[in-house]
Amino acid sequence: MWRTFLIAMSLAGPASPASSTTGAPTDAVFPYPIDQKELANGLRLVGVHFDSPGLLSYYTIVRVGSRHEVEPGRSGFAHFFEHMMFRGTEKYDEEEYNDVLASMGADSNANTSFDRTRYHILASSSALPKIVDIESDRFQNLKYSEEQFQKEAGAVLGEYNANASNPVQALQVEMYQTALQVHPYRHLVIGFLEDIQTMPTLYDYSLEFFDRFYRPEYTTILVVGDFDWEELTRLVEEAYGQWKRGSYAGKIPTEPPQTEPKEVKLEWPAPTLPYLMIAYRAPAFNTESAEMPTLDVLSQLAFGETSALHKELVIEKQWVDFIGAGAFDQADPTLYTILTRVRQPEKLGEVRDAILAQVDRLHTERFDEERLSATKSHMKYQFLMGMDTADAVADTLSHYLALTGDPQTVNRVYQLYDAVTPETLNQVARQYLRSETRTMVTLEPAASVKGEE
Amino acid sequence: MSLPASLGCALVLLFAAASFADHEPVIVDSPGNPLVSFRFVFHTGSANDPVGKEGLNALTAAMISEGGTRELSLVQVIEKLYPLAAGVGAQTEKEITTIVGAVHRDFLEDFYAIFQDLLLHPRFDPEDFERNRNQLLNYLSKSLRGSDDEELGKALLEAMLYREHPFRHTPQGTVAGLQSITLDDVKAFYRDHYTFASLRIGLAGDLPPGFAERVQKDLRQDLPEGQETPPELPRPSPAGGMEVWIAEKAADSTAISLGFPYQVTRSDPDFYPLLVANTYLGDHRSFHGVLMNNLRGKRGLNYGDYSYIEKFVQDGGSTFPLPNTTRHQQFFSIWLRPVVPANAHFALRAALWELRKLVEQGISEEDFQATRNYLLHYSKLWVQNLDRRLGYHMDSRFYGTDDYYIDEIERRLRSLTAEEVNRAVKKHLDRWDFRVAMVASSAGDLAAALRENRVSPVTYQTPGTPPEVLEEDKKIERFELPVREVRVIPVEELFEK
Repeated sequence: MWRTFLIAMSLAGPASPASSTTGAPTDAVFPYPIDQKELANGLRLVGVHFDSPGLLSYYTIVRVGSRHEVEPGRSGFAHFFEHMMFRGTEKYDEEEYNDVLASMGADSNANTSFDRTRYHILASSSALPKIVDIESDRFQNLKYSEEQFQKEAGAVLGEYNANASNPVQALQVEMYQTALQVHPYRHLVIGFLEDIQTMPTLYDYSLEFFDRFYRPEYTTILVVGDFDWEELTRLVEEAYGQWKRGSYAGKIPTEPPQTEPKEVKLEWPAPTLPYLMIAYRAPAFNTESAEMPTLDVLSQLAFGETSALHKELVIEKQWVDFIGAGAFDQADPTLYTILTRVRQPEKLGEVRDAILAQVDRLHTERFDEERLSATKSHMKYQFLMGMDTADAVADTLSHYLALTGDPQTVNRVYQLYDAVTPETLNQVARQYLRSETRTMVTLEPAASVKGEE
Repeated sequence: MSLPASLGCALVLLFAAASFADHEPVIVDSPGNPLVSFRFVFHTGSANDPVGKEGLNALTAAMISEGGTRELSLVQVIEKLYPLAAGVGAQTEKEITTIVGAVHRDFLEDFYAIFQDLLLHPRFDPEDFERNRNQLLNYLSKSLRGSDDEELGKALLEAMLYREHPFRHTPQGTVAGLQSITLDDVKAFYRDHYTFASLRIGLAGDLPPGFAERVQKDLRQDLPEGQETPPELPRPSPAGGMEVWIAEKAADSTAISLGFPYQVTRSDPDFYPLLVANTYLGDHRSFHGVLMNNLRGKRGLNYGDYSYIEKFVQDGGSTFPLPNTTRHQQFFSIWLRPVVPANAHFALRAALWELRKLVEQGISEEDFQATRNYLLHYSKLWVQNLDRRLGYHMDSRFYGTDDYYIDEIERRLRSLTAEEVNRAVKKHLDRWDFRVAMVASSAGDLAAALRENRVSPVTYQTPGTPPEVLEEDKKIERFELPVREVRVIPVEELFEK
């Protein structure tokens, strides 16, 4: 959840070792049959049979993201490395790799998030052997020169600049580094600007990074669409079977608890409406307990389009033109964030008070069953309507595969949504939406900016 | 919950009338598909906005998609649609406006009752009017001016391309235009432009028997018959040289968009050779375009560099073009994602340098074959889902092409030659009269450098540039541009009126 409206967060658990096929359990929200297998070297393979005649989506998910950037000065490196993965091997240099993709008419790209990096190719089913060939090659045999490495650093800086004019990026940068002190989530996936600027000097470190994380035990291959599982298994075993496990065991620092509220004010040098972002410390993604799923449902009820607050602030008083809330699914404890843009700047204080009062009410006020039921229906149908292509299915499933390695996680999450009650909503609000773990960031236009107001 | 695994299944296209009659619904039938899509395309857009009321079409569309019905307030509509997770939206463009709806088949009747009511009986509530107007005003005066330099550059470019032309203002209008609109203006515009005569109905999914006929009957019955109101579209005046406008604002990097208007659309046979040429030069967000490889790949100037032979809007987070952005007049453009200010002048020269190479040297037979083969496959990916397929069918009706766009590409590319591509490039892209939109801080120095055609050596952020690239840089930095005019405009003045 909460993956759509905050920018810059995404830039672009062990599974059973035996091969198995599962149809959809009767109460499962995910409606397509799944095959899975784990190779001896730890590489996981998941196949989803989806009716897209002649087409398939091929995802390679590496469980490395900004979470693993624990060393000083290395923020943004997982994302930078994602770019380097397109710079070729001895067998297929950069140009040849792109030519092969072009020859299949493929759509191809990659993106990096907190906990994983994801590479995807959408192409004809008949291209599967070639896809396995080029992908297995670059994940095992990546080779680039220092010059190529340095040029790519320029493109990454360009990516930072492409988003730099958006105030939401500035808000997020400030929020995460204020709310968190030691965990790598305190920097955005793109990294701190000063670290991006020093990237060109880190060629040797990049080789080490590849050696650490681009290993079979960190990787899952997910194929969705029109393909033959036996053929896929054979191709993958042949091409990836010799890939050696790594030995790196990084230690990710544990964020200490927050004990008092924090507040920061930002100025924006260009015309903007004021923004207000309020965050609370939130749990890690976990399907053993219902905390995160309950918070997802709470976000809909308290801040979604049918919430009392939306009705009051967006539609009736028109003090804000947008409000939303949620927490990203992340491997370690993270932030629960409420974001709004204030349409009537003089109402910023009152908007803040209205949101905080709503948060307080969530501790005790009961939502009625009818609204809860409508919310669950909304979430389920939104999910179903979103899975209308092989690529969309792969996108959804890869999110959960990156978190747990288990494709059934998606069904578990929706079972947990179903189990949410008015009482558990209050419990989770009391547990997590507490003022001592709150961080508030406001962004307003600088006094020097000429405005309409 | 059991669902047939049939999304994206083989679709059977049924045109209700074999004659391709304009007002018969376009239906994309997809047995077993759990989703149903509605695309109601009205032939009215921002080009129909009266002078002084720019934004009237967008505001009218918003009053349909973001207002209530006679019976239901907006809050009630939202509450009713919410458990269905159904979507209603309005996509506004210069000449057309598309009212879109999407719903799961489980709720088709519940949804349709509200969807048609929103269109046929808008509530026109004064509070909804103010909120929608403010949304549009804030988009222009805050989001565009202060929050997204890339979109700002693109919007500025279109304003430059279409001075003294109905395409001049953004589909959202202008600040002054929006401020002058009354609720009565909206009601009158709705009555005159959202008519059955201007409507093209599109439906896709596993529709119940008789559903399409019922939709057509409902709309015919309750919309005014009206008449089509195509705007008069004069030919945009030529620039007579290169014109540069720099929107001045606080910005750490410089966004650049450039282009020129022309008359090629998908109904022109030359569109298809240009499609191949453009894919070779600057395919949107792919790694094999010449611009991408030479500006980003070899030089690390920025995040991406692309070119377009028609209006292009990216569909959400995909890399594919959004359907239903059709126009009777188009433009060629190049989009350079933000570069560090010191390289802005060089990047502009480098982009035009690459274009000139294409114009003068043409595409080789080998590159032609590779690009054509890529497009023949890649264009199939544009229509993976039902809604996009429907959108492209509607587009083809707009342009009056023989086949639906994706099939038209297939048919025309199969018989195309490299010579035809190079001929079309010479005919349509051999131009110097570019309009260039830039977004930059401290624009004065950049403006002077452009006016004087100063030498603009590139400043590399990173070492390690190969000697042959440095050699070419020496030529690019002196590449003479026929700059006729450079204007610096404070960002606060843009989109004002």
